[in-house]
Amino acid sequence: MWEDMSLEDVVRCASDPYPSIREWKRKSGKKVIGTTFADVPEEVIQAFDILPVTLMGTTKPLKRAQALLPDNACSLARSNLELVLSYETDLFDGFVLPQVCDTTQHMSDIWRINVKADYFESFLAPRQVDRPSAKYWVRKEIDRLIDSLKNFSGKDLGPTDLKRSVEIHNENKRLLKEIYSIKNENPSSVSSKEFFSMVKISQQVDKGEFNRSLKKIKDSLKPGKKEGYIDVILCGITCEPIEIYGLFDELKLNVIADNLLIGSRYLEGEVEDGEDLIDKLTERHFKRGFFSPIHGNVFAEFEQIKKLYKEKNAKAVIYVHIEFCESQEYDLPDLKRMMKQEGIPMHVIETEYQTTSLSHIRTRLQAFIESIKGI
Amino acid sequence: MSEKQKKEMTKSQILSKEITEEYLEEAFRAKKEGRIVCYTTAISPVEILVAHDIIPIYPENHSVANLVAKKGAEMCSFVEGLGYSSHLCAYARCDLAYRATGRTVTRGIPEPDMFLACNAQCFTLTKWFEVLSRKGGGLPLFVFDTPQYIRDRRAREEIVKYCVMQLKELIALIEDLTKRKFDYDRLREVLKYSREASLLYRRFLDMAQYKPSPISIFDALIGMAITVYRRGTPQCVEYYRTLCDEIQEKVEKGIGVLPKEKERFRLYWENLPIWYKFSDHAKLLSSYGAVILTSLYVHAWSFEFDLDKDPLYTLSENYVSRFSNVTLEERVDMALELFERYSLNGMLMFMNRSCKAVSFAVPTLKEILTKRTGIPALVFESDMGDQRFYSETQIRTRIEAYFETLEKLNLARG
Repeated sequence: MWEDMSLEDVVRCASDPYPSIREWKRKSGKKVIGTTFADVPEEVIQAFDILPVTLMGTTKPLKRAQALLPDNACSLARSNLELVLSYETDLFDGFVLPQVCDTTQHMSDIWRINVKADYFESFLAPRQVDRPSAKYWVRKEIDRLIDSLKNFSGKDLGPTDLKRSVEIHNENKRLLKEIYSIKNENPSSVSSKEFFSMVKISQQVDKGEFNRSLKKIKDSLKPGKKEGYIDVILCGITCEPIEIYGLFDELKLNVIADNLLIGSRYLEGEVEDGEDLIDKLTERHFKRGFFSPIHGNVFAEFEQIKKLYKEKNAKAVIYVHIEFCESQEYDLPDLKRMMKQEGIPMHVIETEYQTTSLSHIRTRLQAFIESIKGI
Repeated sequence: MSEKQKKEMTKSQILSKEITEEYLEEAFRAKKEGRIVCYTTAISPVEILVAHDIIPIYPENHSVANLVAKKGAEMCSFVEGLGYSSHLCAYARCDLAYRATGRTVTRGIPEPDMFLACNAQCFTLTKWFEVLSRKGGGLPLFVFDTPQYIRDRRAREEIVKYCVMQLKELIALIEDLTKRKFDYDRLREVLKYSREASLLYRRFLDMAQYKPSPISIFDALIGMAITVYRRGTPQCVEYYRTLCDEIQEKVEKGIGVLPKEKERFRLYWENLPIWYKFSDHAKLLSSYGAVILTSLYVHAWSFEFDLDKDPLYTLSENYVSRFSNVTLEERVDMALELFERYSLNGMLMFMNRSCKAVSFAVPTLKEILTKRTGIPALVFESDMGDQRFYSETQIRTRIEAYFETLEKLNLARG
């Protein structure tokens, strides 16, 4: 299903992965569980031979979610709810919804009450990460998730199930990192839109199958030119719709590094091998950078972006702000101020999941490029 | 305040004023005495701070004073000029404006040395405190993380255990900051005062069960302030005892917010109040024979501490289980219990732009409550502090139409 995809197939699938997931489900007879961003250890779900699918909104019109949420609710949250209420109503057998902020906490109840599915579980991620109790808590939550999935699936985890799942996930991240590195040097060989489409669907399709596509794609990439490209760092949580990357490619902005959840924060999530893999999954929770937008150490985020900017010799930083994401809204003014003081050009794009016209983003990016030329 | 106004003040009002002034005096003096000022959230285990002689300060309360004085639009729009979105909490925007300009209708609040944010209330406060901590050059911020109190017995046991661990971490932090050992006996004593005050506060709120009700939600909100910032002190206990005695006297004399024959609608309010419309709303509603009696919000401070349990355990159990941190279904149960206990026959559901955490539940809560009680609800949107989001005529017209609907459905009393 996803084992022999070309770059064109990947981009097409990233725009709408659900028909292929539906077909996979029909053919395999396996279950599909939806999750939302950031903290759910997808390896655990996969270990039960269930497909974990990270929901990343829809660009289709809002019909029902508006009546259930405040009108200034996070655009991603609203779009995800719409996706399961109106468009993919019967695809998911269940959901594991992480709670990382006010929005995700309250959304999980609204979701459970209004969406039809056989299974709902919350993953109560810690909202403090610097103290020993946080580690204790993540471990407890992963244990609880395993128990809950056992009840749902009626299966126990075999001695190698989790190990096998972790290996597949790790391999996926390694392959993506290798392709990212090729793209950095040869942006004309694989575009930003193609690369981030690979990262996106890695979180939505069967990775065992998709890794085979990634290997073939990696081996087929030919060195391309770098001249004419402007290297930029891309920051934020996620960048949607995927067509925004097409604008970067069109304007020859090469995303050379990022801290996105559908980018480096995901790729950093390899799980170390060890006797107790649940402990290793717990450790991973604290190792990858900024896995949730609420742990707002803006100083650390600034230092990280500055480091990337300098190391990669980038020309600018582009920050993607999801409309009504409160965490970002509290952090952005200080982040902007720090960037300005450091003399790093930073441009903020506002995104909204129901946006279909991208011309305003194109115009703003064009104006920004003109302003940084010569730097 | 004029001499006439002073003379008309009740015993509890005089006491409230004295307690507040004494508290603020102490807070401003604290720095000179080498004590720590800790900014905290209204719902947070303040007993730990009180027991360790740390002054808790609530920027929310300070913002409320400015919002009641109708300074919201001015302060919020100033902050938007600094790059903050108009969608953020009005308390936070108002506070950030105060930081930037020093302007306030009060004498202000002392600068913080540390922050304690409990997310059982909301996560917004944590983000707001993060901003303040950064502006203070990285002052310590302790997040007391209270995972949603999901309805699973085993999960609840683990959640409380996690909370207890965190309170121990908080104690270690304040011991380190003050270089003083934490005194658990003192905590037990503080908890005793907290418990007593909470029970009295609950008794005060529950007096709204009488017909006519001697208090409205506006009294409940005014009466709430002391339990927010003076929990754990004997003064707090004294205040609520005085308040309860006063209200009891009203009950015995049959004095209601409205005369018995005029009290036709006993209403539930969902969400925080619209602070700048406080007295207007009271007047408007009374002209329809309506009185708002209660909300889950005012009940958030009616704790039930168990003195026979480990103090950290009972603190954790109570703080994690506030209405804002339980599941929506349990919140429905809590509200339904108020409907029954207070004989309510109407509900005003406020979608508060400033408080997404509470407002997220409103549409679903409204659906379930209406279905279960047969009482229609008035849902309207506005902002608790920023007048730019308040539409006077629209809200008045809707309130009017709502009472007509209740009349048509024969839900009015009398």
